[in-house]
Amino acid sequence: MRKSILTALAVLALSGTAFADVIKVGVVGPFSGPFAIQGKNFKAGIDAWMALNGNKVGDDEIEIVYRDVPQADPAQAKALAQELVVKEGVQYLAGFYFTPDAMAVTPLLEQANVPLVVMNAATSAIVTKSPLVVRTSFTTWQTSAPMAKVAKERGVKKVITVVSDYGPGVDSENAFKTTFTAEGGEVVDSIRMPLSTNDFSPIMQRVKDSGADAVFAFLPSGPTTLGFVKAYNDNGLAQAGIKFLAPGDLTQEADLPALGQAAEGLLTTFHYAVSHDSAENKKFVEAAHKAIGNPAELSFPAVGAYDGMHVIYKMIEATGGEQDAQKAVDAVKGMAWESPRGPVSIDPESRHITQNIYLREVAKAEDGTYYNKEIATFEKQGDPGLAAAK
Amino acid sequence: MAAVEHTSIAKPVQSARPNWLARDLIGVAVILAVAVLGYFLFPNNLALLTRILAIALLVLSIDLVTGFCGVATLGHAALFGAGAYAAGIAAVHWGITDPFLMIVIGAVGGAVAGLVSGAVILRGHGLAQLVLSIAVVHLFHEAANKASTYTGGSDGLAGISPDPIFGMFGFDLWGRTAYGFAVALLVIVFVLLRLLTRSPFGMLCRGIKEDPIRVRAMGASVHGTLLKMYVISGVVAGIGGALNAISTQVVGLDSLSFTLSAESLVMLVLGGTGSLYGALIGTVSFMWFEDFVSAANPFHWLTIVGALLIAVVLFAPRGLYGSAQLLLERFRGAGK
Amino acid sequence: MQTVFSVGIDALAYGMVLFVISIGLSVTMGLMRVVNLAHGAFAMIGGYIASYAAQTLGFGYALAVLVAVVGTILIAIPVERFLYRRIYGAPELTQVLMTIGITFCVIGIANYVFGPTLKTIPLPETLRGPVDLGFRTIAAHKLFAIACGVVVAAALWYLIEKTSFGVKLRASVDNAAMAASLGVRTKIVYAVSFAVAVGLAAFGGIVGAELLPIEPYYALRYMVTFLVVVSVGGAGSIPGALLACLLLGAIDTTGRYLLPEYGEFFFYLAVIAIVCVFPRGLLGRSK
Repeated sequence: MRKSILTALAVLALSGTAFADVIKVGVVGPFSGPFAIQGKNFKAGIDAWMALNGNKVGDDEIEIVYRDVPQADPAQAKALAQELVVKEGVQYLAGFYFTPDAMAVTPLLEQANVPLVVMNAATSAIVTKSPLVVRTSFTTWQTSAPMAKVAKERGVKKVITVVSDYGPGVDSENAFKTTFTAEGGEVVDSIRMPLSTNDFSPIMQRVKDSGADAVFAFLPSGPTTLGFVKAYNDNGLAQAGIKFLAPGDLTQEADLPALGQAAEGLLTTFHYAVSHDSAENKKFVEAAHKAIGNPAELSFPAVGAYDGMHVIYKMIEATGGEQDAQKAVDAVKGMAWESPRGPVSIDPESRHITQNIYLREVAKAEDGTYYNKEIATFEKQGDPGLAAAK
Repeated sequence: MAAVEHTSIAKPVQSARPNWLARDLIGVAVILAVAVLGYFLFPNNLALLTRILAIALLVLSIDLVTGFCGVATLGHAALFGAGAYAAGIAAVHWGITDPFLMIVIGAVGGAVAGLVSGAVILRGHGLAQLVLSIAVVHLFHEAANKASTYTGGSDGLAGISPDPIFGMFGFDLWGRTAYGFAVALLVIVFVLLRLLTRSPFGMLCRGIKEDPIRVRAMGASVHGTLLKMYVISGVVAGIGGALNAISTQVVGLDSLSFTLSAESLVMLVLGGTGSLYGALIGTVSFMWFEDFVSAANPFHWLTIVGALLIAVVLFAPRGLYGSAQLLLERFRGAGK
Repeated sequence: MQTVFSVGIDALAYGMVLFVISIGLSVTMGLMRVVNLAHGAFAMIGGYIASYAAQTLGFGYALAVLVAVVGTILIAIPVERFLYRRIYGAPELTQVLMTIGITFCVIGIANYVFGPTLKTIPLPETLRGPVDLGFRTIAAHKLFAIACGVVVAAALWYLIEKTSFGVKLRASVDNAAMAASLGVRTKIVYAVSFAVAVGLAAFGGIVGAELLPIEPYYALRYMVTFLVVVSVGGAGSIPGALLACLLLGAIDTTGRYLLPEYGEFFFYLAVIAIVCVFPRGLLGRSK
């Protein structure tokens, strides 16, 4: 009798994860500091997923371990990822708001036997750094390129691009320029401004002097977009009829209450608007609002995190809770589902998400708040950035 | 701060000689003991410990100019980042992946950055000096952002893969090699700095801090001495940066940032300026505390760190090490 | 020519906004000799209170500003009494440690209480929208900021140079022991000047909110800018700070117009050049 119990225990111990177990997911993101809002959205998306789908896959309980990297800091991100894998024993790494942080972690994955699900970081090249990376967010190329088509359709001939001088800004500029030139348009000037710019009046003067019909802009979500959009209005560019085009980072929902009237009518292209009209999204928004507390704070990183959790659950299901990174990643290649943002799938080749990109206009709702109103759809967009890099 | 220095300066040099040797040996033994203890207590957290050691080199380097020479700087990460980028660029673009060689390149990079930034920063005093140092670190940061062909810009310089040490110990996920390498580097640098701060040159620096006019009257060159110290400080910071590049295999723009500069100055003041032990204690306690509270509550830990800093100023105004030493002396004084 | 005028106006507006936000720091740093890195934190508190008063409580703009300035001063009183009083005259690095600690705390608390989103202070109708200057348009609130800058500069200059309080303040700063023995109650003088500095910070935070929006990280994000502006002007000198703001505003704005890609280089190289030529700041008081 005693012996049999011992054997049973030994079997249990040896088979380890195959039985009911706790599977840990390590999430790295900016939970404090200047980008705290985006980290908060990660958590809201994850909480929403777990509220709707339970915290168990099969018999395995899922536990999320959060680690904070307030600003892009690859060394810190890597040390934390190492800690998560070695000390906390996480089987999945996820999150990552900033590209350099995600890049820093990719060399670890193979040895750690851990897949990385990128929930935001938007530089195309990340997925090429390791075969164990899957991305459920978007790339700057993916969201910027369709805007060039919109510009062309709306009869814009000359555009000036204005971007923040850092990786994503340069990506966005290239994406727009390449596509717009291919469509037969002309980019008359390209301005890159330091990230720390506060006063955009001189930039607006440049835009005016350039004689362009439209300005294409990219700035990171947050405080600077407010100054930029206000400067666009205050310097009379709106009255002069110069159109404002940008990817949706500039009009993320969390910034809209602050932007207010100044943002009305701005055109942006993006993969997700909180206002997206679908049953799937209603369910998501309701759960996410509950998770985040203040509904006005809900923004795009939440949906990346929500779908990221979807992918991770699928991975756990496919591996039966065993730690097998390659098998887990293989299981989600080609996976297609109805996300809150619309129909999406994981491209088996690049492991990046294929999704609809929407053209939106900032509009005023009946209750006086502003929202991104989807007015056109570009269906099943892959990532043009990877192709361009080749 | 002043009292700490006086106790070491006031003693007659000859009788102190065997005394300091014994004390330094004990110091090194303590560092090694703590390092070994850290290895066994936190075998799963070596990445953090290695990072602490790299930053400790940066804080030591600030101590050289701030604690020993009285130069206030909020831009010292420029030297650290220069070392990190020098080592990183050598590895990625020129294929120099021998870790020892990378450390040397990092040290050279740091020294050059020390020379450049020292030449600028030493032109001011007090507040002006702080502002110059801030301007310098921002210029370095912008330059690295602009030179994205070499530095990877804001995406970071990835793809650094250092060779195994002696061809045997690789830099892997568990970070044992990196940790051992870091401990060895820190101890060597520490011993050298101990010797340096006791040398006539080190004494001259302390003299400049106390009274630059008198030192000038003695016929010594204040500016030249400080610049020399700045270059040495650059070497130390550069080694720290290179170590960071080797152990994390990536270099980001944050390593040249004002934030890192300010944070490491805070660590130094926290530990106590003007003593190498203070620098080490400040780094270890700040980074460990930050890691602990940010893991416990990733969302609101900043408040607690702020409270810690305030508490230190209120209750240990000389920094942790300085105040502990003062307490110890009082205790001894009462015993006599 | 029109462009030159236009950029000139932008430079003037930017410089004046900088001035309104940073001048409080010039008082703490130059007159009270405290390296107050928490200046931005007080400006942010002012912004938050104003935003709360205007948006949630529905106060008018002027009332919201008043409530915010008074509220921030009330919050600052215990901070001065229990924390700042301990670091008057302490080494600079100790002051840095303390004030950074305070800043961290304020950021954490603001993030907890108000959340990490941007907060705005709704402007009254008259300050909203562009004003036509004939050759170009400019935001009305920028003209308002310019006016505020002029008023603040004049009032402060008068307070420090012409009133008996100003005399006491300067006496306490130059030699606290001597001033005290001559019957100046230095503690009160310090407390009052601290309150003035904090009030100015709050006011600046509100007036500048259109350019530097209120969010929890505000306190650290703009710290360097404030510090640089004050030191270039010469800590404690009101005309110096004004001159520095206008000069740096002009350099920054022109740089961003001509070569936006190298804007950061322009600004900091100019700072280095100015500080090297005027080590005490443009119009700094000699010790």
